[in-house]
This record gives sequence, C-alpha cells and structure tokens, in this order.
Amino acid sequence: MIPGNKDTRDGIIFSLPFLVVYLAFMIYPLLSGLYISFFKWDILSTASFVGLDNYRTLFSDEKFYSSLWHTLQFVLMTTPTLLVAGFLMALAITGSSPWKGLMENVFFFPYIFSMTVVSTLWAWLMQKDWGIFNQVLINIGQNPVSWLTNERLAMWSVALTTLWWTAGFNMVLFGAGIKQIPKEIYESAAIDGATYIQSVRHITIPLVSSTTVLCLILQIIASFNVFGQVYVMTGGGPHGTTRVLVQYIYETGFKFFKMGYSAAMSYILFLIILMVSILQYTLLGRKENA
Amino acid sequence: MKKLTFSKKQLLIRCIELLFILIWVFPLLWMVITSLKLEEEVITRTFSFWPSHPTFANYIKAFTSTYIVNWMGNSFIVSLMAMLLTLIIDAPIAYAFAKIRFKGRNILFWAVMGGMMVPFQVLIVPLYLQFNSFGLINTLAAAYLPRIALPIGIFILKQFYEGIPSDLEEAAFIDGASRYRIFAQIILPLGQSAMATVIILSFINAWNDFLWPLIVINDTIKYTITVGIANFQGTHGTQYSLIMAGAAVASIPQIFFYIFFRKKIIAGIATSGMKG
Repeated sequence: MIPGNKDTRDGIIFSLPFLVVYLAFMIYPLLSGLYISFFKWDILSTASFVGLDNYRTLFSDEKFYSSLWHTLQFVLMTTPTLLVAGFLMALAITGSSPWKGLMENVFFFPYIFSMTVVSTLWAWLMQKDWGIFNQVLINIGQNPVSWLTNERLAMWSVALTTLWWTAGFNMVLFGAGIKQIPKEIYESAAIDGATYIQSVRHITIPLVSSTTVLCLILQIIASFNVFGQVYVMTGGGPHGTTRVLVQYIYETGFKFFKMGYSAAMSYILFLIILMVSILQYTLLGRKENA
Repeated sequence: MKKLTFSKKQLLIRCIELLFILIWVFPLLWMVITSLKLEEEVITRTFSFWPSHPTFANYIKAFTSTYIVNWMGNSFIVSLMAMLLTLIIDAPIAYAFAKIRFKGRNILFWAVMGGMMVPFQVLIVPLYLQFNSFGLINTLAAAYLPRIALPIGIFILKQFYEGIPSDLEEAAFIDGASRYRIFAQIILPLGQSAMATVIILSFINAWNDFLWPLIVINDTIKYTITVGIANFQGTHGTQYSLIMAGAAVASIPQIFFYIFFRKKIIAGIATSGMKG
C-alpha cells in the first residue's frame, strides 16, 4: 500500500469484507480439505498421517469406480438430451407461435422449484403401485413399469425428472443467444428461398455455437455434481446401481466418518470439474480469437 | 394484414407445442390434485383423476402435525441472512472492481471469479470440521454462512456499476464527497436493478440448498424446508397426499418470487449462466 494513494486504500477497504468471508469459507476449506485428504480421521480420534494412502485406496475401491461410472452415465444421459430440449424450446419461444410467451413461462417454471420438491413429486408420479404413470399404463392395458426400482430404468427415470426440471434453464440461455442474431440474416435467407429447417441448420445453429459451448459445459458440471435427485428418488438403489459420486462422498464422510477418504474423493471430483472448466475456457477462447 | 389461415404443417406444429405445454404443466397440476385428495382416494385400485371430495385436510395436517412451519421459518431465516450478507459483502467489492483503480485489482478479480469453478461438494468435509470446531454444528448460522460468498453476484454488480458514467462520480469528488458517500448515495441507488437480480438469485440459491443443510443440521425441528420435505418420505411413508401438500406449501415462496420477479430471474440467468 502506498501511503497517500487513496485508490489503493479504498480498493482494499471496499474489498475487505468479501475477502475475509472468501478466505474463511472458500480458500481455507479448499486448502484444509487437501491437507485432510492425507490423513486417516474419524473426527472422534486423532488424525493420523497416511500420506497418499487415501488416494491409493481410492483407485482400488470398486465402489468409487461404480459411483464414478454412474455419475458418468448420468452425465451422458442428461447432457445431449437437455441441450437438444433447451434448444428446441428456445426455437419455439423465439419463433412465430401465438403462444410463445406461454411456452416460455411453462417450460421455465419447473426450474424455480427446489430439487427436493421436484424429486418427491416425480417419485410420486413414478410410484410403482399408485403413481399416475403406471395407472395410465394399466388403464390402456399395459404392464406397470418399475420406474425407480428397476436397475436398468432407475437412472433414466432420474434423468427424465432432471430434464423436466432444468431444460427451461438451457432454453433461457439459448433464447438469449438466438435473440442476438440479426433478423436481416433470416430475411435475406427467406428471400433466397431457404426453408425453416435450412435456416435453423445454416444460420441459427452456427451462430449460437458459443452459447452451445457454454450450455454444454454448465450442463456437464451440473450433471457431475448430481446428488439430490438420486438421494431423494432412489436413495442410490436399487442395489447401489444409481449411487453417484457426490453421494458416495457424502456417505463416506458423514455416515462412516472417514473424513480423509471423503476429502480425497472430493478432490478427484474437483479435478474432473477443473478439467472441464479449463476445456471451456480454451474452447470459448479459441472461438473469440477466430 | 396478417393472414389468419394456418397451413397443415403449422397446425401440426401448434398441436405439438400444445402437447408439450400440457406435459410440462401436468406434474405440477398433479401435485395440487393429489394434495386435495383423501388418503383413501390416492391409494386405491379404482383410479380417479379429479378428487371426488376436494379437501384441505392434508394442508391442515401438514401445518398441525408436521414441523413444516418451523422448516419454512428456518428456510426464511437462512435465505434472508444469506441474501443480506451476500449484498453487504458483494456490493462494495463489486464497486471496487468496477471503479477504483487499485494495485492488484485484476489478479484479485480473477482469484475471486476462480471460486466459481470450485464445486461446493469439495468443501463439505473441511467446512464441516471447521464449523464443528466453531461449535456451530446444528445451527442455522452454519447453514447460511458458507453460502454468502457469491462470486457470481460480484460479477453481475460489477457489470452494472461499470455502466454508470464516471462523470457522476467525478462531479461528486469535486464537491468534496468521500468514496463512502459516493458509494452509498450514488452507486447503491443507481444499481438497484442489478442488486435486485443478486437478491433474487442468492435467495433462491439459499432456499434450494440441500446437501449442506442436510449435513450440518441434525435436529428435525431445525431442518430447512428442502431437507424437511426430503425427509417426509421416510417419516410419512405412503401418505402421498400429505407429502404433496407439503411440497406445494414448500413451493409458495418460489411461486411468489416467480410471479413478481419473472423478468429479473430470467435476465439474471441469461447474463450469468448460473446453474443451481
């Protein structure tokens, strides 16, 4: 700090309240988490230093791999579907439909509900014996489906719930991107005889590509962090086939009190998300330079 | 004049749109319909769509025989505190980033924005141990304190403050006003609309928080509403109409927010890309 330079002094004073909180609840736990990951610790007894043992255990832990795999499954199920759904919705609300305002509201509305409300609601819709989905199936002469208790279906059901819940979010981002495309481009394309499909393919999709990258990255990160929907709807079952990484981190830390091991796993998750974020910046950066 | 005739293709598209509108609305409608039914009518082989005797019994039961009032109250406290504290710490630093030329400003800005890349899940174990050593486990303060450093809020406010013409500030400087007065009397009032966006985002963020309150609060009566609703299924098993009534009550604040601040919420998402 230069004495007499008010800008520096003011800058520090105005930044200070945030920085204190940021240090206390972000930087410090981030570093201490890494530190804890080198210890074996159950809170009650004293921690013992084990070096890289937690990380070594992790790479031979079948449950870790299966949780990571389920998370990846969820990412692969939700990312393309949510991107396409959001884009189609955005096309609908920026087009010429007489009820596009209604659609914007209706498609976005589920997003404002909390995850637990959405999950309990869909667990009820998909309930095996009395849920409406199966009631309808029975009434049209079909066999009821075990939406949440069938090993092959459970994750899809959670993904479907997530689609209903958050597709509107992607719609808003895509909608903002589409609205920035000048009308004249479409008009001149129409004069040249381009059909709607053609102008979507050759004008809209290329011109919203930076929004697409943004949506893609946000979606991958959000899907990697999935926990609540699974926790409420299936509890990780049936037979652990929907147990995701965050759930395993939570259970390891707060059911079995293996703090060091839990911290080590969360760092692996961080690493994955960090790589996705870095990918985002290189992809977006390249776009802007081109 | 616009032509009012639809081609066949357009008619088909309108029908598809309408179908999706119905699909999207239906689950919420079903939540309300279920909540108005009696238990016997929900768990039965003879399926009926509308409630034969619409009743508020489940709502009354939710209010009288569960902790839902406490949970709502707790969520209000947590969300309001998160929102207030977020503003108190975010607005000044956003102003500093936007208008004050101090040494290391850019490095600091990127260090703060980098925080957005850290998933909260990474912090849960160390944060729990930290709050454990403070003796704050099982308190509402523990539920909101780690949630108040909201880098995205700084980003939104900074963008807005940068748009405020510097002439205003300079004129005030010449008149002998201090930074603090300029901030309090010019910047804050002019930045109200950006502030509203941050208020809404931080409130909804805190209200919807689940994993952290699940970890840090143990007593049923101290739960936030999201944890309480998630627990409903365990404690009320197959009382689906009661669970749906609880879910509907739990959503009232968001619905209220949406009705009054729809544009702000959508604009906030479009500019920040914040995902819950």
